[in-house]
Amino acid sequence: MLDQSIQDLLSRSLKRIEAAQSPAELEAVRVDALGRKGALAAFSKEMGKLPPDERKRIGMVLNQAKQSLESSYESRERAFAADALSARLDAEWLDLTLPAPGPRRGHLHPITRIQRELEDLFGSLGFTVLDGPEVETEYYNFDALNIPATHPARDMQDTFWLDGGRLLRTHTSPVQVRGMERLGPPLRMIAPGRVFRNESVDASHEHTFYQLEGMMVDRNVSVGNLIYFMKTLLTAIFHRDVTVRLRPGYFPFVEPGFELDIQCLICGGPGCPVCKQSGWVELLPCGLVHPNVLRTSGIDPAVWGGFAFGLGLTRLVMMRYGIDDIRQLQGGDLRFLEQF
Amino acid sequence: MKFSYNWIREFVPGLTQAALPLERLITMKTAECEGIEETGRALAGASVAAVLSVSPLPDTHNVKAVVDLGELGLRTVVCGAPNCRGGMLSVWLPVGRKMIHGVDSDGMLASGDELGVSRDHSGILELTGGEPGAAIAGLLPDSIIEIDNKSITHRPDLWGHHGMAREVAAILALPLTDPVKMDLLPAGDAAIKVRIEDLTLCPRYSALVFDNVKVEPSPLWLQYRLTAIGLNPINNIVDMTNFVMAELSQPMHAFDADLLSGDTIVVRTARPGEAFRGLNGEEYTLDPANVVIADEKGAIALGGVIGGFDSAISGRTTRVVLESANFLASSIRKTSAAIKLRTDASMRFEKAQDPANTLRGLARAIELLRQICPGARLVGGVADHKREIPAPPPIELPLPWLAAKLGRELPSDEVRRILESLAFGVAEASPGVFRVTVPSWRATKDISLPDDLVEEVGRMIGYDTITPTAPLVPAAVPPGNPTRRFHHRVRDIVIDQGFTEAYNYSFISEEAAAAFGFSPESHLRVTNAIASDQTLMRRSLLPGIWRNVVENAKHQESFRLFEIGMEIRPRAEGLPDEIPHLVAALYDRHGDGASGLFEMKRVAECLMPGAVTAPADALSWEHPARAATIEWRGKTVARLFELHPNLVETGRAALLDVDLAVLEALSAGEARYTPIRRYPSSAFDLSVIAPLRAHAGKLQETIAASAGPLLESVEFQRQYSGPPLADGTKSVSFRVTIAAPDHTLSNDEIAAARAGIIDRMRGLGFELRV
Ligand SMILES: [Zn+2]
Repeated sequence: MLDQSIQDLLSRSLKRIEAAQSPAELEAVRVDALGRKGALAAFSKEMGKLPPDERKRIGMVLNQAKQSLESSYESRERAFAADALSARLDAEWLDLTLPAPGPRRGHLHPITRIQRELEDLFGSLGFTVLDGPEVETEYYNFDALNIPATHPARDMQDTFWLDGGRLLRTHTSPVQVRGMERLGPPLRMIAPGRVFRNESVDASHEHTFYQLEGMMVDRNVSVGNLIYFMKTLLTAIFHRDVTVRLRPGYFPFVEPGFELDIQCLICGGPGCPVCKQSGWVELLPCGLVHPNVLRTSGIDPAVWGGFAFGLGLTRLVMMRYGIDDIRQLQGGDLRFLEQF
Repeated sequence: MKFSYNWIREFVPGLTQAALPLERLITMKTAECEGIEETGRALAGASVAAVLSVSPLPDTHNVKAVVDLGELGLRTVVCGAPNCRGGMLSVWLPVGRKMIHGVDSDGMLASGDELGVSRDHSGILELTGGEPGAAIAGLLPDSIIEIDNKSITHRPDLWGHHGMAREVAAILALPLTDPVKMDLLPAGDAAIKVRIEDLTLCPRYSALVFDNVKVEPSPLWLQYRLTAIGLNPINNIVDMTNFVMAELSQPMHAFDADLLSGDTIVVRTARPGEAFRGLNGEEYTLDPANVVIADEKGAIALGGVIGGFDSAISGRTTRVVLESANFLASSIRKTSAAIKLRTDASMRFEKAQDPANTLRGLARAIELLRQICPGARLVGGVADHKREIPAPPPIELPLPWLAAKLGRELPSDEVRRILESLAFGVAEASPGVFRVTVPSWRATKDISLPDDLVEEVGRMIGYDTITPTAPLVPAAVPPGNPTRRFHHRVRDIVIDQGFTEAYNYSFISEEAAAAFGFSPESHLRVTNAIASDQTLMRRSLLPGIWRNVVENAKHQESFRLFEIGMEIRPRAEGLPDEIPHLVAALYDRHGDGASGLFEMKRVAECLMPGAVTAPADALSWEHPARAATIEWRGKTVARLFELHPNLVETGRAALLDVDLAVLEALSAGEARYTPIRRYPSSAFDLSVIAPLRAHAGKLQETIAASAGPLLESVEFQRQYSGPPLADGTKSVSFRVTIAAPDHTLSNDEIAAARAGIIDRMRGLGFELRV
């Protein structure tokens, strides 16, 4: 008889658990059936009146019913919790297509970018990076580079003159001399920096631009070494094969002197404003360091030799990014600067 | 410098390469070519035309001409030239048929200008001879090769066609002919005396006198030669001097002998203030730095630069003094720069011409005058005053050294062939060592060292024949450049904060300097500025950034940008100080500007963790109530401010100006580890009632100073003004954190610390909300 009552309670309660629509209804079933004053507790009390054998048997029945109810209750409870969680999270719907607030990372100037790349590249080849002043003396800009005052080569570089006979460096080459004085031989150095020429500005000419001077002084440096080095360098700079040519060029601080041209990367050869319609861009004047320059810097040309080159950083940047107007580089226009 | 292909070929008869491949060879082995221009193209189809009859066309200034073209038959052409008349010989061009004024005109009669043989477009060309229907004798289409002047500054000989022809012959291993016949020079006493006062300024002056001269237009071939290379035909005498210059690189000048006074030409320095009128009609005031050619009365030419107006060749000239001289390059360069006049002569003398060349010029002139001024007669011998110029010492050229310099082995006979083709003398001094003598025209400046010969050999063998070889040097870590690395790090920090890098010119205008409180005198000034707004060297980056702000505000609602560059600060002597600065700007068209300033302050704190912002009196370009300095590690490193609203049309711009030299010095040093505290800290909040314009930073400092040894930090929490606080006051809340290194603070200790702060603050006159 008690068996039957337990079975009835069990099936009734399981149905109620199944039918519960809310955590409150479920809780009501739990209180009714499993609570301290619930039905199972009442059966348990009644059971005490039974003989021991019967009591033991009913006890097992009762226990089974309890476990069955508890497990059903717990799974229903978990279902309610899961529903509640998903309802809450659904309410937290967020439109991630909205823009993120706050500033974006800014942009390095394209010349800074390329300059850094080259500093790293040369650093890996054992070159030190040197700086020199933008305002220079005639001595470092000209005399020490084998360009005395009477030398017609001074006309090649239209110079900005300042008060007191000072000048704006027309090339980064003065840093060669400063570098040799400071470091002595052997040495490998580069000097990227801003240089100035007094000429009017148009799409391919600027009075302010950037060069990267390079120099190596050691024993037994040959033209073959120089060519090797320039090829290695250009392959690394352009990440691709470029067509180059080496031809005589006159620079008083090198002997022999060369012009290294590369085929214009903007037009690929037919001609455009950047290459002055020639298809070639003068990229790299270079040569073996003139013995007078070594001597002036306190280095014995009978023992040491070297090569030097001057990379047109501004022109390189224009080619790398396909910039066809040099004026953009110092125009400060964010519509330009933010492209890099 | 323009070179005529046909002219070069006269000296290199074996030349078969066309102009284009020749130009490439010259570029690769001698000097940079800038391009080729075809000239006289019309000559290819031109025929000699005999004008048979001419009849006027009513109501026009044209005529109808019937011309005889020999085997080609007769043609009728309409011609507008005033000199078109029956019986003349002219040039006919087949340009097609066209109805003009009702006449069926076939082809045209051409002017010298239209043919490209002269600059004359006043009428049709008049020929002095020729067979009708035939091509015009001696005139052929030509290719003009333009060489970059910069690439031949060191080569006095390449300012003439013969010098370039020598290069071409050497490049192609062809023989070179010489147009100069020295035996034409007359012997005997000169008809004029020549005296040089300073043989350094003028190492040589040679002259010849001609009489019975008839000045007339040059023959067409000569006009064509000069026109093709950009020179203006003038008359036979002047054209001859220009021809010799263009051929031999020896500038010459012709004087009308009857307009000279006295019997002596003197080469001297100008008297102070000496007046001189040039051939170009300009008046010059000279000084002793200039060399003049003078007669008894005064200057008749500015030596090496320009002839004089008063002794110029004219239609009345019958006697000519022909000058062929040599001048000191640096002196010519100085004079030419001082009077701002560069002539074909001065351009050449600046390159250090060869004194031996003066007589070659005269010899060539004699031969040319026989052709183009047949009546002219030489009077007397050559006047020639000169300094003895010692032969340049020979250069020892060890062949193994040459090979080591080039990085390539070379057969000695190839080295010899190359040097000899360039007119060097080669002898074997000892086995494997050449003794090389330098031709006079390469010895003036160009070549004196064995290194110079490396170039001569290298360019002729072609640098593409040298195998690139890796230099073998010991591996070594290069010395670092901490300053440059530091600037890169600063850039990265600022970029991460959303700022974009701009570059500005180092030049600024006086107005821009004044806008930022600088007088023009405090700047280094450009003495030859390119524009009136670029006269000063910037001593602040602010003017440049200001311009960036104003320009970009036209396109963008808000932006952040910065520049790192040098402030140029003049010193009384020597080079100026160049101080690296960072200037960053944040612009917003909307809003009250406060958030921009605080964002900028955050940038400063990213660069200088723990920096203190100290209120400062605003400068004239700063917002009067929004300026501060940034103090870090005991130094003033930067300035933070809003740009004065007068300087921005709309919107607000927050600026930060950092002295990177100071910042770098303060940033040096490594971090040092301190052990992590083992006992927990405790915190409590305090609110101070203060006047509205009391600086929270000052309050925080005061609290910190009152907190005693347990203090770990004071942090701003919030501030409030309004009821129930009295008008004109605010409440500022701070969180105070305290700790002890050796134990956990007890409640009593915390309460005592808090009470201590409150007491001391009250003692200083502050009210606290507790
Ligand atoms: Zn191009």
